[in-house]
Amino acid sequence: MDVELAKPFIKAAMDVIGTMAFITPRPGRPFVKKNSIATGDVTGLVGLTGDGKRGSVSISFSKACAVAMVKNMLGDDIQDILSDVKDAVGEITNMVSGQARAGLSEKGLVFQGSTPTVIMGDNHSISHMSKSPIMAIPFETDAGNFTIEFCFE
Amino acid sequence: MSKLDGFHEKDFLEQVTILNEISGSRDSAYLPGLLSLFEKPTGDTGVDYMVVNALNAVLGASEDAVIQGLNSQNPAFRTLCIRAAGEYAFPDAAEPLSEMTETETDLDRLAEILAALAKIHPADGARVFRAFLGHDDPMLAALAMEMAGAYADPQAVIFLKAAVEATDADRSYDQCDITTWKAIDAMAAMATPESIAFLAANVHHKNPTARRIITDALVRLGEPAIQHLEPLYGLGDVDQRILACNIVGFIGSRKGADGLVQAFDKGFFTEANVRYAAFEALGRIGTLKGLVCLVDGLMETDELILMAVVTGLERHAAPGILKTISERIAAGDERSSRIAHAVIASRALRLFQELYKDEAVGAALMMELQKSKDSEILADFAARLDQIGTDRSRADILTLPKPKSATRKALAADDSKSMLALYRSILTDLGFEPLMAANGQEAYAFVEAGEFADVVITDMNMPVMDGMELVGKLRASLGYEDVPILMVTTESESTQRDMATKTGVTSFLTKPFKPEDLKAKLLEMLGG
Repeated sequence: MDVELAKPFIKAAMDVIGTMAFITPRPGRPFVKKNSIATGDVTGLVGLTGDGKRGSVSISFSKACAVAMVKNMLGDDIQDILSDVKDAVGEITNMVSGQARAGLSEKGLVFQGSTPTVIMGDNHSISHMSKSPIMAIPFETDAGNFTIEFCFE
Repeated sequence: MSKLDGFHEKDFLEQVTILNEISGSRDSAYLPGLLSLFEKPTGDTGVDYMVVNALNAVLGASEDAVIQGLNSQNPAFRTLCIRAAGEYAFPDAAEPLSEMTETETDLDRLAEILAALAKIHPADGARVFRAFLGHDDPMLAALAMEMAGAYADPQAVIFLKAAVEATDADRSYDQCDITTWKAIDAMAAMATPESIAFLAANVHHKNPTARRIITDALVRLGEPAIQHLEPLYGLGDVDQRILACNIVGFIGSRKGADGLVQAFDKGFFTEANVRYAAFEALGRIGTLKGLVCLVDGLMETDELILMAVVTGLERHAAPGILKTISERIAAGDERSSRIAHAVIASRALRLFQELYKDEAVGAALMMELQKSKDSEILADFAARLDQIGTDRSRADILTLPKPKSATRKALAADDSKSMLALYRSILTDLGFEPLMAANGQEAYAFVEAGEFADVVITDMNMPVMDGMELVGKLRASLGYEDVPILMVTTESESTQRDMATKTGVTSFLTKPFKPEDLKAKLLEMLGG
């Protein structure tokens, strides 16, 4: 039931990014890809295990979107943009993972989440640990785009 | 007096202990108290979270309370009851939940209701999900399709077919709607003759991602899919016939081999690229009839097809077959050297070791091996000769040429072992050091490891990462912006080629091809 699992993450991403970074994401049309690679400029990735399943969820931000989030979160207090972006994306991914898992546990689906890993680099690629198709939901914001990707097996 | 009296005044440790006890007891007497805590939270996230958990545990022991809660005026509690109804699969909740789907307008709650119903799986549930098959929200539609498959709902088939066939030409090659994906999976889950036949008829779906999902679904279906793929041998177009052969090969059932042999006998496989795919599939399956057919394949003149035949025979070398191959090579005609060359180029070490026992055949094989410029092939066969350990074999090792070191590199990606073997032989002939990969991801790993290739050859349809994606990634990589990329494919459709050209492919070559064609193409791309 990939759809049931995906929904809470979408909702959590919209909530967290809306509340923490004051950015309103607009979800686009979800799609599936057969390759296991996510591309973006900054990506937060968490592994999930539980309920006999394992999978991973990633949120990949464009550079513009990631920078805009940091500016909104820290105001003028930016020390080092690179490490602040890394921190912010890690923190946001962690919160999204936590909130979504809390929602899932109310349905009896208990997942453990790993500590998020943040990958930076223009147009980098990362691999999800799954053989099944990857579901991706693109989001638009006024500051740039980001994509959430899931896979469970 | 209830444990929950004066809860707000208690300290954190007491609160946690009480909530833990209630979760353990699942006593519905605590329901009103928990409900009021749920409505007036303590403000401590940890405690409030435990209240929800305790409430969920208590609700799990009381189906009546959950059903009542479905009508609650408090939307948060209503959602909690919807989730509990699903989690504990309360059968009596199915009816009120089904009714709620007719009036609920909030998409998130609608998704919760449908997810709960999916878990309860009431006997008459198909009707409820059917109503959402065409819903505007793709997530809800996808969930409805998943359930149409779980219920094997015959009335949903028409929707599912439409969803599979719906492709958006503007979408990128690696994207496919989730409704298309779920519709394919639902048709596969139904596994009726009608649904399998439909999937088989769509093997060459326009969207490469959907095509991959259909292929995977048919392989998963296994033997029941074979009878629906076989009609394609005679009736399908070239692409469909190739894909049908591939899938039957991956299924690997003996029944599949019989069908392939029959199709050969009926003369359906006239095109070289279809024969290539069919021999490859027979090699994967390896029944006696299939092996006899593969031995007939030794008469092929096309080098690539011959390599597919030899690769197949290498997997299942049986004494009777070895004798035939041995005789063919010993005949000493033009065909003999072609077969000997195929044994060397496809690195059929097992066959080689057996065939080498005959002195004349061994000499013929050595003659082909001495022509090779491929350092890895030379090293592999030298090691095998050493392992054979006779005086003759040790003497033969000394006759092998010393490999020259190459200055230019070429990257080749293909999921077919015999194709890779052919590339290797051609590329080394042209003086390239070959970098070989079984799919796009392996190929890209070379690039990420800092390797630079002067030319890239790639297949289009490959597992894990296909050729199109590989090309896209190469073009975005430093140093690969202008490297010539040749796409070698069985795809004959122009739309697929247009997509590939847009992604950055320099030139195309259709499978199968003569080695000279590939050489000429490479030299042309590299400017002579």
